[in-house]
Amino acid sequence: MPTDLHGLADIDRLIHEPARLALTAILSVVESADFLYLQRETGLTKGNLSSHLAKLEEAGYVAIEKTYRGRIPLTLVRLTDAGAAAYKAYRARFKRFLEKA
Amino acid sequence: MVDIEKIEKRTVQNFYEDGLVEIAVGLIFVLLSAYFFSQTIIPKGSSINAILTGLFIIVLVSSNFLGSRFVRFFKRRIAYPRTGYVAFKKKEQSPKRRAAAAITAGLIGASVAALYGLSSSTKALMPALFGLLLGIAVFFIAHRIGLVRFYVLSAISAVIGVAVAVAGVEEMRGIFFYYAFFGASVLFSGVVTLVLYVRRFPRLPADAPEGPDAH
Repeated sequence: MPTDLHGLADIDRLIHEPARLALTAILSVVESADFLYLQRETGLTKGNLSSHLAKLEEAGYVAIEKTYRGRIPLTLVRLTDAGAAAYKAYRARFKRFLEKA
Repeated sequence: MVDIEKIEKRTVQNFYEDGLVEIAVGLIFVLLSAYFFSQTIIPKGSSINAILTGLFIIVLVSSNFLGSRFVRFFKRRIAYPRTGYVAFKKKEQSPKRRAAAAITAGLIGASVAALYGLSSSTKALMPALFGLLLGIAVFFIAHRIGLVRFYVLSAISAVIGVAVAVAGVEEMRGIFFYYAFFGASVLFSGVVTLVLYVRRFPRLPADAPEGPDAH
């Protein structure tokens, strides 16, 4: 069990937080998504979503692009290569931990 | 605890939640059925028949392109203003997957070609063959995505194909009936899904606090 706990202690805490985990899980499947889509899927408030995305962006896990569709502003979010690798590693490590537990 | 696999699966399902893919596929099938119907009434060897044959190849080749254009066009106007913009990853085709697709296409082609060489009574089995093959394909898609209505469509394909074959409808007319009924079923499923989607997610006003231009 201590070995298992060591494995768990090494997991990426930035991704492990439930809201950010949900965000990275969604972004791992899509090419990019806008703010509205992520808000609807996660059920987060606008402020919460912005805050979690800012943390992920700061870590270099997501890229946020502010653009326009016609005259409508659009905030597009996508997982970076570093974010995809971190999510993949987190997923594998957590799966291993659950299998051992 | 966050169920990662459930979130990933639901995100993939979201692509189909507006029914637009089914509407596009249903329309292509109905279009194909119109072609097969024309084959039953236009005399073979006529110039119109030759033109239609040429058009059929164009429709077949371009249906994928036109279908994805159709879906993108209506997603932009119906889905994105309601549930937000999302672009899905294009699947990279691994050599294994490509080989499996080529083998499947080859087997289907060989089966159809073999049927052409058979007697007319055996040819009447073609709708059953189409229905079962397409039913299996839709079943695998349903299994991958996890949407119940796709399982239903898979069963409908098999039932229509077998029913038309058992009814002993003449070959080309049988294929027409299969494509028309299955296309209409897929179209109906798509339209019902779209109506429910539009009712469930009203279009957000542009100036809404959580609206598309609120950030």
